[in-house]
This record gives sequence, C-alpha cells and structure tokens, in this order.
Amino acid sequence: MTNATIQEIEGIDDYWGPAFRSVYEGEGHEAFVQQLDERIKQHDKEIEKLCNFHYQGFIDSIRELLKVRSHAEELHAEISNVDANVKEATESICTRADELIRARRVELNIAATIEKMELCLPLLTTYSKLKTQVEAKRYYPALKTLEQLEHVLLPRVGPYKWCAQIAGDIPRLRQAIQDASMADLRDFLENIRRLSPQVGAMALRQTQDLLGRSLASIVKNKKDMAVLGIAGKEPIGPQCPHELVDFSPLHRCLHIHSVLGAKNDFIQYYRAQRKQQARLVLIPSGNLHDNIQSVKNYLNAVLGFFILEEYLLSAGAGLVSKDWLLDTWSMSVTKVASTLRTNTSLITDPTLMLSIKHQIVLFINTLKCYGLPADPLPLLLQEMAEHYTEVLMQRWVVVFRDILDNASFTPIEVETQDQYDGVMDTFPYEGEELETQPFPRKFPFSSIVPAVYVQVKEFIYAWLKYSAGLGLGGSRRAAAARHSASLLLSRSFTGCLSALFRRPLPLMQLVQIIVDTKYLEDATLCLYEFISNITGSELVTTQTAGSMFQAARDDAEQQICDKLEKKVDEFLDLENYDWLLVEPTGQASSFVTDMLSYLSGVLTSLEQLPERARVAAVRAATNRIATRLRNLLLEPGVRQISSGALHQLDLDVIQCEQFAAGEPVPGLREGELLEHFASLRQLLDLVNGWEWSSYLHDVGIDGGKYALVTPRDAATLLEKLKEAEQKSSVFTVLKKNERDRRKLLDTVLKQLKQLQNQDGS
Amino acid sequence: MAKTYDYLFKLLLIGDSGVGKTSILFRFSEDAFNISFISTIGIDFKIRTIDLDGKKVKLQIWDTAGQERFRTITTAYYRGSMGIMLVYDVTNEKSFENIKNWIRNIEENASADVEKMILGNKCDLDSKRQVSKERGEQLAIEYQIKFVETSAKDSLNVEYAFFTLARDIKAKMEKKQEASNPAPRTGGHQLRANEQQRKPTSWLSRCSLL
Ligand SMILES: Nc1nc2c(ncn2[C@@H]2O[C@H](COP(=O)(O)OP(=O)(O)OP(=O)(O)O)[C@@H](O)[C@H]2O)c(=O)[nH]1
Ligand SMILES: [Mg+2]
Repeated sequence: MTNATIQEIEGIDDYWGPAFRSVYEGEGHEAFVQQLDERIKQHDKEIEKLCNFHYQGFIDSIRELLKVRSHAEELHAEISNVDANVKEATESICTRADELIRARRVELNIAATIEKMELCLPLLTTYSKLKTQVEAKRYYPALKTLEQLEHVLLPRVGPYKWCAQIAGDIPRLRQAIQDASMADLRDFLENIRRLSPQVGAMALRQTQDLLGRSLASIVKNKKDMAVLGIAGKEPIGPQCPHELVDFSPLHRCLHIHSVLGAKNDFIQYYRAQRKQQARLVLIPSGNLHDNIQSVKNYLNAVLGFFILEEYLLSAGAGLVSKDWLLDTWSMSVTKVASTLRTNTSLITDPTLMLSIKHQIVLFINTLKCYGLPADPLPLLLQEMAEHYTEVLMQRWVVVFRDILDNASFTPIEVETQDQYDGVMDTFPYEGEELETQPFPRKFPFSSIVPAVYVQVKEFIYAWLKYSAGLGLGGSRRAAAARHSASLLLSRSFTGCLSALFRRPLPLMQLVQIIVDTKYLEDATLCLYEFISNITGSELVTTQTAGSMFQAARDDAEQQICDKLEKKVDEFLDLENYDWLLVEPTGQASSFVTDMLSYLSGVLTSLEQLPERARVAAVRAATNRIATRLRNLLLEPGVRQISSGALHQLDLDVIQCEQFAAGEPVPGLREGELLEHFASLRQLLDLVNGWEWSSYLHDVGIDGGKYALVTPRDAATLLEKLKEAEQKSSVFTVLKKNERDRRKLLDTVLKQLKQLQNQDGS
Repeated sequence: MAKTYDYLFKLLLIGDSGVGKTSILFRFSEDAFNISFISTIGIDFKIRTIDLDGKKVKLQIWDTAGQERFRTITTAYYRGSMGIMLVYDVTNEKSFENIKNWIRNIEENASADVEKMILGNKCDLDSKRQVSKERGEQLAIEYQIKFVETSAKDSLNVEYAFFTLARDIKAKMEKKQEASNPAPRTGGHQLRANEQQRKPTSWLSRCSLL
C-alpha cells in the first residue's frame, strides 16, 4: 500500500484529490509521510547530482554573457552614430522635397489660372476697345462692341467681381454714348444753323445763274472754259447747296439711336429741335427795312433751312417726313410773308424796294426748284407793288413840289431853233402855227408842263422796274402802269397843286396853272402811247384821262375869284365918301375908276383862261362891287346920307354899270353882269326919283319896277336921308315945299315900317 | 362912320425885271421873303397903312412888271402916282444903268411933282456886288433924288425907304396946302389943315447908322 499512492500522485499531474483522500482516510499516514520524505530525499539527491553536472556550463555561460554585454554596448554607440549621420543627411532632402511639393502645387495653379485668364482676355480687350472707341467718339462701333461685350463675352467668363463691375458699367456707357451722340447732334444742329444762310445763298445764286442763262452766255462759258483748258469735269467745291453741310453726324446719331432702340424718340427730338430753330430763323436779326443785306441774310437763312430739310426728306432716312416738312414750311412762309410785309411797309427808298422785290422773286423761283409752295409770297409781291407805287409817288411828290417851287408859271419863250426843238422833244405839242412864227416863239404852256411830263415818264420807267420779272403779261403791266401814272397825276401832282394854292399866288400864275393842266391832260394820251410802246402791248385808246385836274382847276378858279374879290375889297376899303356932301363933284370917285381900270386890265390878261373861268371871275368881281356899294348905303355905321352924297355914289355905280354892260369878257349872257347891280340900282332910282307912291303901290307884286327893294332897305336909306336933311336945316326955317317933303317923308317911313312889320309877323 | 385913314398915297415901284420890286413890296406888306423868282405880269398892288406923326396913312403901292413887254400897261399907272421907287439890283450893272431910262420914263409920264427915291436892292449879296454904294449915291445926287441901299431878303432899309418916301409926300402935300387956299378936298384924298410940317430926318445920317 503507501508506495502505490505516491506513484499515483506522481503519475497524475492533477486531480490529486482522490489520492489525498485515500491517504487521509487509510491508516498508513506515517508510512506515507515516511515514503514522501524518502521520495523528497531521493529528489534532492537527484537535484544535487543535476546541479553538479550543469554548474560549469553555467559559469561559462555567465562569462560569455558578460562578454556579449560589452559588445552590445559598442554596437549601440556605433548605431547611434550612424543614426545621427543619417539624420543629418536626410534633413535638407526633406526640405527640398517639401519645396518640390509646393512648386508642383504652384505649377498646377498657374496652369489653371492661365486657362481662366485666356477666357477673360477677349472680354478685357473688347472692353478696352470699347473705351477707346468711346473716347474717339466712334459711337456706333462702340455700341456694336458693347453689344458683343454684353451678350457674348460677359456670359462666357465666370462670375468675377470685375465682370460684375463691367456688366454694371455697360448701361452707364450706353447712356454716355447716347448722351455723347446727342451732344454731337447738338453740335450738328448748331453747325447747320450757321451754314444754312450759306446754303440758301448758294441756292439763290444758282437760281440767279439759271435765270440769267441764255444761249449766248452758255456758249460764252463753254468758250471760256475751252480757252482756259478746263475740261469742265473737275468740280471745285460743293456743287449742290446741301453739300455744304456734313450730314454724317446726324446719320450717325440716327444709327446710334436706332441701335439703342430710340429711333422714334430721336426723330421726334430732331424735329422738335428743328422746329425751334425754324422759329429762330424766322425772326430777323435786325431791321429789314434799312438795307438789302439784312433781307438777303434773312431769306438765305430761311431758304437754307428748308433746303437742308428737303434734302433730308429726299435722303429718306425718315428723319423728315413730307407732311412735317410742308407743315413747318407753311407755318414759316406765312411768317416770312408777314415779317417782310411789316418791314417793307416802312421802306421809303424805291431802290431798296426793288432790290427786295428782286430777292423775293429769286426766293420764290428757288422755292419752286425745291418743290416748296410759295404761296402767300406772290400776294406779298402785289402788296409791295402797291407800297412801291406809294413810295414812288411820295418821291415824285417831292419832285413835283420842286418843279412847282421853282416854276415861274410863265409861258415858255424860246429864242432859237435849238431851244424850240428842246421843248418839242420833251413834250408832245402840236403847234403848227408856232412852227412858222419868227423867234422868239412863245409856247402857251409854262415850263412845268414839259418838266412834269418828263417826270411822269421817269415815274413810269421806275414803276415798270418793279413789275419786271413778275411774269405779268404786257397788257396787264401796261394797264397797271396807266393806272399808276394817272394816279400819280390825279393824286400826287394834284396834291402838290392844291398845296401850291394854299399860299397866295399871283393871279397870272393861277391862270397859267389852269392853262398848263389842260395841256398836261391832253398829253396823257401820249403817255399811254409811251406805256404801250415800252411794255410792248397794244395801245388802249378807250381809256381816256378825262379831266383829272378839274378839281385843281376849280381850286385855281376859286382862288382867282377870291383874289379878285379881295382886290375889290381893298379898293373899296379906300372908299372915302363924304356922306354929307352938298354938291357932287361930277366925277366918279378915284377908287372906283382905279378899280375899274385895274379890273379891266386884269380881265384882259386872263384871256388864256377858259371862258368859264373868266366868266366866273368877272361875275365874282362885279357881284362883290355891287354888294359892297349897296352895303355902304345900308350899313348902320353911316347915320346920315345927303342927297349930294347919294348922287356921288350913283355916279360911281353908273361907272360900274358901264363896266358891267361893256362885257369885259366874252361868253356872258346879255346884260348878265348888270343884274348884280339891279337891286342897288332900283334902290338908288327909288330914292333919287322919289317914286314912293309907285313903290308902295307895287309892293309885293312880282316884276314891279322896284321889286328888288325891300321895305326895310328903303326905310333904312330914307331914315339916313332924313337925318342928313334935318342936320343941314337945323337952324334954317323950312320953306313950304320943304315942309311938305318932310311930311311926305314921314308918311312914307310910317308906311314902310308897317310893311316891314307885316313882313316880320 | 369913322374914317379908316387920314391920307392915301399911291406909290409905284419901277425898275428892271428881277431887281426885287415884288420882293421889296412883299417884305413891306407881309414882312416875308421868297427866294424863288416869279416875274410879275402886268401890274399888281398892295395896301399897307402906316402911322406918320400920328396920322394914319394908307399906302397903295403899285408893283409893276419890269419886263419890256408890259411897258404900255405899266406906264399908264405913272400918272396917278404920288411917289415912285426906282429900284436897281446892286449885283446887276445893267439894272443900274437903266435907272436913267426909268427916270426919263417918269419925266415923260408921271406928274411933274412926283416924289422919287432910288433903291439899290440886294445889298446883302456883297460878294456879287457890281455897283458900289458910292455910285448909287452919285447918281442920286445928280438927279436930286434920295437914295438908299436895301435888302428885301434881310429886311434892310425897306421900311425906312417907304416911310421916307411917304413922309416926303406928306410934307410936300402939306406945304402945297399951306400955299394955296386950304380946301377940304382935292381929288379923292382928304387933306387936313394945320398939319404940322415935319422935316424928315436926314436919310444920309440914318444910312450911315445902318
Ligand atoms: N439876295 C437877295 N435876293 C433878292 C432880294 N430881293 C429880291 N431877290 C431875289 O431876286 C429875284 C427877283 O425878285 P422879284 O422881286 O421877283 O423881282 P421883280 O423886280 O419883281 O421882277 P419883275 O417882276 O420881273 O419885274 C427873286 O428870286 C428874289 O428872291 C434881296 O434883297 N436879296
Ligand atoms: Mg415883280
């Protein structure tokens, strides 16, 4: 038993429990502890033996190990060294490598940038091109560039900040271009405003050349050119008026605005501007009535303006429409006409009028060439014609006044044949009997007749100058000229004559004027002949001058009558009656004889006067004498009249009656002049004849012997007679028959008073 | 009725055509002057009333045509004239020489006691003068006629001439009246007695004053 258990324990590595149980539960514990001790002693002996065996080896190993240890240390140092060396060597490499890496990265970046930049470059060059174009004012290409920039280039490039800036710049640039092109337009407008007058002037000059062109002048020009060796093909300077103006800025502006989509706005703007300019052009810069140059400038400017518009119309860009042009034109031509009308109405210089008329005619002709209606202008020319006539008449009024002021109003007397021919050359006088008379010969008319006749011809010349070139027919011109010439004579000349009559003229001069006007009247037919000759129209004989100076002659006749009456008055103012004269002298008073001889002298010298005028003159004079003499008797200033004084007056009246009866001028009715003295004669006869009973009997009966004596006059005179008688007999005792006479006188007076009262009631 | 005048004198202007007779009369009657020449035809007259020593004197002044062709008409008026102005033009020698002929005319046609006076007109035209004042005076003294140079244009001595002539006529008339019986009436002219005789102031002294 015990041995077995130890083997079991040794035989099994683990699971020693059951073995120990059996030990523990059996009785053999001592034996087993002894066996275990013996076993431990055996193992100890075996361990000892093993240790003894391996000891040497062990020592060797330790020794060896120590040796390894030093080697290891050596190695360690060596390795450390190497390691430091390597470390040192690799450090720069590492930096290089880092650098390399970075460079590589940069290189890549650069490539990418270049790629991007290449995309941007066209945008930038275009942008700069745009800028230079704008700067060079080449707006239209600039605008095209802008388009490209906006629609092609910008979208292609990415959303960079600067792109946004450029994109933002585009509207601003576009606006700038628009503004700049507007500025250009304004410059253009300014320019054509300045050039319009030249354009107009050139057009007018061309019309003038055209009008003045005749076959002869064309041939001459050709020859001149041939002589000068000019082939006639090299045009120097502009050929057409509109070529004076460079329209390109305008067209550019139009293009620009078309591109900008503002074409219509632009057209509207252009028209508005031009309309405004038209208004300015239509206001003349100065007075048009003092020199032709201002009129020329005015018309040139207006014409130039519309020639340019007309050119634009035909150029067809749509800037100017026919309606717009005609509309503006009609507004303008009306204004032109009214401006010219107001200004020309102030002109008093016929030469200036003619120049202006010429200018207007040229203007109208030029308008026709450009298809512009001339309409109110022909009417204006007509009105101006009237004014021209007025102006001429005013001129000739001065001429006539001058002639009349310096006229002697005496018949022309010529001493020689030359002088005679001189008169006959200037005035159509048919005086055959004068032809044969010896020198000095005397014409019936005064120098004013040929002078006025010549001046009327001058007037006609001047007048016809205006109607030249108006395209009127010869007969119309002639009719108008005849009209104006008669107007000149009947108005202007007659006016001068009436002015002449306003100052006192000697009698003979008045007579001569009457004679002269007759000759002038007769000569109007010759004037008409003259007119038809120079106008090349048929002579119109039906239209006669009539008696255009009749009014003037009436004036003159009236003056003659007035003059004679005044002379009569002057003589009668010399009257010096002694109203208390006892005995008449038996001689007529000297003032009466002086007067009558003066009158007969004057009346004989009136023999050239038409009979009518002479009769009127003598009637006026005798009537005046009769009235004044009769008034002497009846005027209240004379209180008393003696029968002696009455007889003296009777004697004087008889002188006058003899004069009247002697028919101082022919053409009077038998006894006509005596009628002026009839009432005076009856009064004198009544009182001197003391025929009161028959007077009072016949009162109120027509055809009575004293029918012309009114009771009032009879009473007045009788009263004066009574006064005078009373005065002369105041201290003497009246004789019987004188007392009877006094009594009768009182009775008659009473009766006359009664009659007077009857008449009065 | 109150008389409008105390005396009526008829005066006559004679002389060559163009010497200024009408102008002198125009100056005297209207106090005006006209540069233009309208030669007188036949005869004409003007009346002006002047005051002489408190008397109203009416002057009826006859202006004759100087032209030869009117000679017959004009000489008829010599007879009734009481004073005659002989006018020449100091710028026209011929008109001065003709004064002698005019004086002969007067002698033949006017009444013997007619008062005369010689006028050398246009004395304003000194530059054109042909007849010196001395020659005028010489001639006047020869004929025992008063003389004065006048200018109708400048109104020089015109009034003086007419007043002098009128005064001389008045003096002569009053003298005659004193001599003969004072008759209230001669012809058509009323004359008043006791008219104070006034010696005209010497025309020579006047002239030198001017
Ligand atoms: N300078 C100047 N011119 C005068 C003067 N008096 C007259 N005349 C001019 O002389 C010209 C003739 O004047 P009238 O008075 O008409 O001459 P007249 O003597 O009446 O001539 P008849 O009537 O023909 O006899 C006119 O042109 C007058 O203006 C004067 O005192 N001085
Ligand atoms: Mg005269």
